Amino acid sequence: MSEKELNKFGEGVGFERIRRITGYLVGTVDRFNNAKRAEVNDRVKHGV
Amino acid sequence: MIFTVKKRDGREMPFNIEKISDAIIKAFRASGELKEQIKASQDQIDLLGHEDLLSSTALKVAAYAVGRLEAEGKNKPDIEEIQDAVEKALTECGYGDTAKSYILYRAERTRIREVNTRLMHTLRDITFSSAKESDLKRENANIDGDTAMGTMLKYGSESAKHFYTMMMLKPEHSRAHSEGDIHIHDLDFYSLTMTCCQIDLKKLFKNGFNTGHGHLREPKDIRSYAALAAIAIQSNQNDQHGGQSIPNFDYAMADGVRITYRKSYLSNMVKALILLTGKTEEEIQPVVKKLHTEMAEMGMVATLVPNEKFVEAEARELSKTFDAETVMKAQKFAEKMAYEETDKATFQAMEAFVHNLNSMHSRAGAQTPFSSINYGMCTEPEARMVMKNLLLTTEEGLGGGETAIFPIQIFRVKKGVNLNEGDPNYDLFKLACRVSAKRLFPNFSFQDAPYNLQYYKEGHPETEISYMGCRTRVIGNNYDPTREISYGRGNLSFTSINLPRIAIKMKSVDLFFKELDRMLQLVSDQLMERFAVQSKRKVKNFPFLMGQGVWIDSEKLGWEDTVGEVIKHGTLSIGFIGLAETLVALTGKHHGESEASQELGLKIIGHMREFCDKESKRLGLNFSLLATPAEGLSGRFVRMDKKKFGIIPGVTDRDYYTNSFHVPVYYKISAFKKLALEAPYHALTNAGHISYIELDGDPTQNLDAFEKIVRYMAEVGIGYGSINHPVDRDPVCGFVGVIGDVCPRCGRSEGHAISEAKIEELRKLYPGMPVFRGVR
Repeated sequence: MSEKELNKFGEGVGFERIRRITGYLVGTVDRFNNAKRAEVNDRVKHGV
Repeated sequence: MIFTVKKRDGREMPFNIEKISDAIIKAFRASGELKEQIKASQDQIDLLGHEDLLSSTALKVAAYAVGRLEAEGKNKPDIEEIQDAVEKALTECGYGDTAKSYILYRAERTRIREVNTRLMHTLRDITFSSAKESDLKRENANIDGDTAMGTMLKYGSESAKHFYTMMMLKPEHSRAHSEGDIHIHDLDFYSLTMTCCQIDLKKLFKNGFNTGHGHLREPKDIRSYAALAAIAIQSNQNDQHGGQSIPNFDYAMADGVRITYRKSYLSNMVKALILLTGKTEEEIQPVVKKLHTEMAEMGMVATLVPNEKFVEAEARELSKTFDAETVMKAQKFAEKMAYEETDKATFQAMEAFVHNLNSMHSRAGAQTPFSSINYGMCTEPEARMVMKNLLLTTEEGLGGGETAIFPIQIFRVKKGVNLNEGDPNYDLFKLACRVSAKRLFPNFSFQDAPYNLQYYKEGHPETEISYMGCRTRVIGNNYDPTREISYGRGNLSFTSINLPRIAIKMKSVDLFFKELDRMLQLVSDQLMERFAVQSKRKVKNFPFLMGQGVWIDSEKLGWEDTVGEVIKHGTLSIGFIGLAETLVALTGKHHGESEASQELGLKIIGHMREFCDKESKRLGLNFSLLATPAEGLSGRFVRMDKKKFGIIPGVTDRDYYTNSFHVPVYYKISAFKKLALEAPYHALTNAGHISYIELDGDPTQNLDAFEKIVRYMAEVGIGYGSINHPVDRDPVCGFVGVIGDVCPRCGRSEGHAISEAKIEELRKLYPGMPVFRGVR
């Protein structure tokens, strides 16, 4: 294998998930406090 | 014999009886018990100072206390044991009153010590735990609690809260707050400033402004308009604790486009004439410039959509020097080029504006300014160019394709202006839907909702409805009904009521309303207390907000004047959270499940609104009812209620109380039914409100459905709404969209790596891909 195939990037890097709380967007769910994190987990989608 | 004592921290110190007698002297002074005797002894023997009687008595009592300790065999007593002995000694020696004041003194010292210990614990938590472990550090998701400045901000904030709770709040307000009956928001800024302001950019730009570090001239180009707009938001953010909002972004930026077009038209006209006539710039430029200046003095200027008056006059005048065909050709060239250049400059200006608001710092670098901008109803071509380019740059995202977190964009929807086909800004409404479906912004505000429409006067943009990011709304004005406008006004402070607790405690509806009334009055009094503190602040305490005339009428005040009168234009808001849990506690069902509960919900919130209106009348101020956003609060109240009342199904069984009047997020309901149920509460909550819809999947694939929801919001009388949908991003390959377990672009799953070869291959397909850290 070539060097470029052996060189790996992104180990341990998660996906960013932008969500809206209290009107503001937040870059990623990691920054939410525990209560808001629980709320985001509970959210169900609304049918159209 | 006692030779050493044990201090609170465990260290042993040499025993000193004077320390005990000093404390006793203080207690005698406080009780005044020896006053008479001292006076008598002074009269008798002048040579012996009165202090001596006091000291000798104190020493006697101290010795008695020490004797007790020794008798009990306590040869190395600790502080508590000594204090116990002193208490008993005072009583047994017949100084009952002094014993009482000594006990009080002890209790007060204990209280201060405990508060200090609690504060120290808090500070230790801030210092040594990372935001990942510390909920305290994630209280506000937009502040990075891990950075040096974020931590410093937290030290200040937590210490200030302790100080105000101990020293400034009335005990009943302090108790209600710490026990969780109410929540005084932004308590750390209690004595310092007000919440937020809607900045009239047009007025601010008129003569330039001063940031406190230098004067900025009136801007002369759309790029400087946009740069100064960001600076204005940043400067004002440092004078207030809440967010900053621009109510007239479209109207204000349009001026910048006008100036840019005029300048660009002039330079392109010069270029065209040079090329067509073969003359030099020195020959052409002064002629055209002089002509344009003279025409401008007569009110004729080049405009984005060419106006006949200018075009004809210019042609006539230029034809005196150049031949008519040359002039016509030059005009066509200049119009086309100036349009293109202005469009490009406007895009760049908007791009820089969004970038600035996501990168410039406020509050010692701990966060970017909380900013909102309202737009949508200005139909001038220049404003339309601003809105189009702002939306396009938002759609594109930041440098690495990231979704911009700031500013919160609010698109104002109105029939006849932008809602329907054939309306002059309908194209922008469509574009706003498309961008929001990808980037979550803009949100939508609804000018035609009756409670918003009642203030609207056509041709007066200051009467258009504005919202500030977290939902704040300031428009009605009981203090001065001739100024029912959004410009230059904002919220002063707000305090929220723990509604579910009242319901849990009172159980019956009748008793609920009684207790609610008591709580409303308590909050009103507390808001007035804070208002009195805020009123004493001076213009110099707000160098930008008041010093630069951003707040309404502040330009009429001097540097040393207090702001008490002008802040009466602001609002004092009473908020609430957890209507859903309240209804469950009272009736067993929330308003999503039962019509009767919806009826009761409206009765409760309607009652709260009536109270606010009554208080406004009684006090001549602006009390308003807020559907509290509750970020930190959503967990705080329920945590305390769980401890107090245990787990009650549907009430305290989750980690959060439901946002304001929302139908609970976990409840399955259609988008339309949710909106129809929530809309009547928008009409009642005049301090601000927002409703959310959660959409599944990627709404850019179904824009019709997206638009249908926005239209339905307008139809049922929602004031402010937005649609949530997942926006994910893979920082390695830069993909933005919905990511399940696997990134659809690079195929990696969360936490897994891909090879450099794969990245190179992807870059050929997606040249705009960001460069991931460490990749060459």
